[in-house]
Amino acid sequence: MAVETTAPAQAPALRLLRMTLNGRPVELEIAPRELLLPVLRDRLGMKGAKLSCDVQVCGACTVLLDGVPVSSCTTLAYEADGKSVETIEGLAHDGRLHPIQAAFIECGAFQCGFCTSGMILSTKALLAETARPTRDEIAAYLSGNICRCTGYWNIITAVEDAAGRLAGDGEEEGA
Amino acid sequence: MLGQFDICRPGSVAEASAVVAERGDDAVFYAGGTELLILMKERLLEPALLVDIKTIPGLDAIALDPGGRSLLLGGLATHRAVERSPLVREVLPELAAMETAVANVRVRHAGTLGGNLCFAEPHSDPATLLIALDAAFTLASASGARDVPAADFCVGFLTTVREPEELLARITIPLPGAATRVAYERFKTHERPDASAAATLTVDDGVVTDARIAIGCVGERPTRVPEAERALIGQAPSPDAFAAAADLVRDLVEPTEDPFASSDYKRHLARTLTLRALARAGAADGGTNGR
Amino acid sequence: MSHATTAPASEAVGRDVPRIDARIKATGEAKYAGDLVVPGMLYGRVWRSPAAHARIVRIDLNGADRAPGVVAVLTGADLSDIDPRYGHALKDRPLIAIDTVRFAGEPVVAVAAETQAAADDAMALIDVEFADLPVVATIDAALAEDAPHLHDTAALTPGLFHGLGKLTLEPGNVCYHHAFARGDVDALFAAADIVVEGEYEFPAVYQYAMEPHTTIAEWISDDEIVVHSSCQHPFLVRAELADLFGVPVANVRIVVPYLGGGFGSKSYTKMEPLTVALARKAKRPVRIANRVDESMVTTRRHGMKAWMRTAATRDGTLLAREARAWFDTGAYADNGPRVVATGADAAPGPYRWEAVKVDAWGVYTNTSPAGSYRAFGATHLQWCGELQVDEIGRRCGLDAVAMRERNLLEPGESVRPGGKPLDADLKGDIRKVAAALDWDAPKAPHVGRGVSVGLLAAGAHPVSTAFVRLEADGTATLLVSTTEVGQGARTVFSQIVAEELAMPVARVKVPGGDTDKTPYDRSTGASRSTTLAGMAVLRAAREVREQLAAIAARVFGLPEAAIELRAGAAWHEGEAVDYPALIAAHFGMVGGELMGRGEVRPDKGSGSYAEGPVFWEVCVGGVEAEIDPETGQVRLRKVVTVADVGKALNPKLVEAQEMGGSMQGIGNALYEEMLFDPHTGALQNATLFDYHVPTFADLPDAFASNIVENGDGPGPYGAKGVGEGALAGTTAAVATALADAGAVLDALPATPERVWRALRTRRDAAAD
Repeated sequence: MAVETTAPAQAPALRLLRMTLNGRPVELEIAPRELLLPVLRDRLGMKGAKLSCDVQVCGACTVLLDGVPVSSCTTLAYEADGKSVETIEGLAHDGRLHPIQAAFIECGAFQCGFCTSGMILSTKALLAETARPTRDEIAAYLSGNICRCTGYWNIITAVEDAAGRLAGDGEEEGA
Repeated sequence: MLGQFDICRPGSVAEASAVVAERGDDAVFYAGGTELLILMKERLLEPALLVDIKTIPGLDAIALDPGGRSLLLGGLATHRAVERSPLVREVLPELAAMETAVANVRVRHAGTLGGNLCFAEPHSDPATLLIALDAAFTLASASGARDVPAADFCVGFLTTVREPEELLARITIPLPGAATRVAYERFKTHERPDASAAATLTVDDGVVTDARIAIGCVGERPTRVPEAERALIGQAPSPDAFAAAADLVRDLVEPTEDPFASSDYKRHLARTLTLRALARAGAADGGTNGR
Repeated sequence: MSHATTAPASEAVGRDVPRIDARIKATGEAKYAGDLVVPGMLYGRVWRSPAAHARIVRIDLNGADRAPGVVAVLTGADLSDIDPRYGHALKDRPLIAIDTVRFAGEPVVAVAAETQAAADDAMALIDVEFADLPVVATIDAALAEDAPHLHDTAALTPGLFHGLGKLTLEPGNVCYHHAFARGDVDALFAAADIVVEGEYEFPAVYQYAMEPHTTIAEWISDDEIVVHSSCQHPFLVRAELADLFGVPVANVRIVVPYLGGGFGSKSYTKMEPLTVALARKAKRPVRIANRVDESMVTTRRHGMKAWMRTAATRDGTLLAREARAWFDTGAYADNGPRVVATGADAAPGPYRWEAVKVDAWGVYTNTSPAGSYRAFGATHLQWCGELQVDEIGRRCGLDAVAMRERNLLEPGESVRPGGKPLDADLKGDIRKVAAALDWDAPKAPHVGRGVSVGLLAAGAHPVSTAFVRLEADGTATLLVSTTEVGQGARTVFSQIVAEELAMPVARVKVPGGDTDKTPYDRSTGASRSTTLAGMAVLRAAREVREQLAAIAARVFGLPEAAIELRAGAAWHEGEAVDYPALIAAHFGMVGGELMGRGEVRPDKGSGSYAEGPVFWEVCVGGVEAEIDPETGQVRLRKVVTVADVGKALNPKLVEAQEMGGSMQGIGNALYEEMLFDPHTGALQNATLFDYHVPTFADLPDAFASNIVENGDGPGPYGAKGVGEGALAGTTAAVATALADAGAVLDALPATPERVWRALRTRRDAAAD
């Protein structure tokens, strides 16, 4: 394993990390110093979460840990032990997009896409907590997710749209 | 990438404290990690052992004391837990409101109140309000526990009276009485607040009988301004009285030099926020108190 | 106005077609440079100088080169076989420090290791001894008589793409001087009724593309280079790498995945030379992924100081403007000369002047290098000029809209001698902004309204090419090297191909740029892609269309005029032969493909590309702002922009550019400022804790964008570019709105403290 080859002589023992990743059990050995983001990206192939600010401000690395949004860049992988981790890769099922993804596409809620995984997962956590957030509530909750491209307007519209889809609005139209 | 370290998970405060006492500088308490891990990534801190205290039972409780006079917050209660706690929202809504604007939701989920206070980053919210609320911090170690008034806890930039092996186990906040109102005002242009003021004002029969004013973020540590508090005692809660107190705050705070704002402006902000906090705490329909 | 390129009834163009990359970006499948792994790839990390100006006395690796996992360590000493200097404007920059460091953050040692952890761990071992040299961290310090010189400027050679005519430099810290003058400025100022004069400062700003610079380089068989990089201009990077490492251009391949934003930060050559040199040393592929603090010292917007004066008659007619501006380009020129020239071009503003005189200089300082950032030049100087126009209006009793009605250029009027005449209706644009702001409505105290208008010389160099391949099954592959930075270029191009070939957008595929496979495009920036690369795409598609028509004529046995191409087939009187059948008929088998080639050159097209600029990008904004007089904090109640785009090929994407551009304009106007220590030159706010990028919390209360389609652009279907104008227009309109509310600023960003001070200055002046 990669970590063993690089660790200095005094490297502490590896520990077993058992977690559920997007609904599937995962087991791997980690060094205590490994952060969740590189473990997800480099060891488990979940490239959707991105590294940007590295100080928990921008939200590009957001994943859900037992449903709670965390900055995976500043979370020890160790913290995921026994928990369920959800990444952007876990949202679509059988080729069917999650309603939040569909809303983001429809509303033009991204451009470069680098913030999008984190933005969508933060939205998922928000809507799980507040099914019909006001625009102010959306802005407050998502103020820890930076997007440099869109100017945010279309994201707010997309979150409102996603809330409607999840609440079953327009279900008959197949939304 | 972080440097090498190991993690241990003690089962009790005594055990955790004993590990840190034995390992000395090598070991640090680890809870939310929101500040610690960032410094470790920069390799400004390189502890060999993180003592994970998150699983010690009971340290994250939020409750009233048996007499119902104080709010008790476990040191491991997260910002988010305090913000969302129905109990806090009921008995001390200003505290919950303060927490809603701390950093972002991810940091509030991970970060603990105790960790925030022990880190003593000057650009932070909770300590200032807790000082104005006359809270006490219980520091526990293998050899016992002691209580430190919130105002005496932080003694300088990133420095507190806590010994390395002492763990901030509990925050005790006496609940304001019916005649006391609380207000917290912050000014923020960056990720962290630039200036803040907290005030509690007790008004009895049209006269201020007790006042506490705490100023945060402008100096190296949050501080009370006793001269400004004294100036209010015995006065009617009037705009003139508030302005006189706020002027004292402006003159007495000790702003830090930094590239972001002048000392002049920081003093002015401290005055303005004090005035706003006092106005809100002094208004019949403003501020918040107990139930 | 008629255009040879105007198409008939539109099927694909002018519609809100969803982004063709929408799905893979929403599912996390879109690949960025940092997501790629090349077999055998090592992980790099750069040891950067803490000193801003120093001689390197000794580099002590302390075993970093033998540390577990470390494969190679690169220092300046490894480059003795090549000339390690590059720079597309001036070859002033070694790819890693040689003997001297000139800014805090300059690469001194690079390490390649089997894992990122091993590369990171090696950093702690390295120790470099410096001998400090005097630091010039500000424009003033750099221009002082006795200032130390960062470079032997007289000996510098021009880069491959300076594009600035003859470059001759005097000894000193000036890397470029751009000047123009016409009319008798001095006489007009001497005789003018009203003269407004001011000094201004604009901050250094970080582009903050969410994705930091990331490059993977391979060095193969001693003369072949393969690079995967987050770069906006792959062909210019290819040429510079070939030049640096002495290999043929054809042996350098640049592959560009999706970019996590660019905004100019990934224009020209950035981390590629260092990564290639490290791969050459390691004899293995290497990835260098900057951290954000590293990217912040890799490139930035130029800080600027300026002096400007404007003369007018007492009835508000503008007469003359004179400006001098100094741009802080940091330790290396990067795109500084072009920024200087564009800033000088923007200084007069789009008004009818009897005389103008402009001088602008690029100045070396011991700070991190500055290059391109969205709407450079215009953002720097538009706000200064617009504040002066408004001040003149205040003195002669004309409001901001009336001043502009009186003085703005009309379409067709000369903007600068020898250049393209004005190709936009600026007065119409300003009227739209005023209407959206409810201009004449009463204002509450501390509320101000402002407008701004400017022009940006857009398009850069008009050279682009494209290939369209119509495959045997009737799908199309478009080969074009425009970088998808998020703007939606691939989507718009697919619309153009679909339009020209009368087929569904969904059947057009647009892979990413790869210099081995996709043809030359000069660059992705300067709002040029729809206009120029888009025109090359249109011409390539049209070549295929012509082939289809000819084949169909043979198949039907009819003249081409009798045949219509529609819905993926050739039609004659209700009879259809679809494209696969036409292609099969042409080749006599199921297979083959039709290929079309399109190019854009200065002397081709609608006859106007040779006459610079390609088009004048309109920078129009309107703002209603409210100031908290006690703290100086600004709240934006409304922001309005105008996208004067000729023809919106995808209105939703145009609006998206306006929304994003204006938000960056708000950041530039109110929050963003890189703070370099004036003595040490070190960047003091290299994290998002202290450098504030606008968040949801900073949104204005309302936003409106107006799309103006006058069909007056030189691009496909009368289109012209978009993307930069909203930034410059919004920044300047924030400044004019604040002035209207009582806070006249001479420095941006308009931090609460600056606004508070400006209000106090005015109050004190009123009291005197």
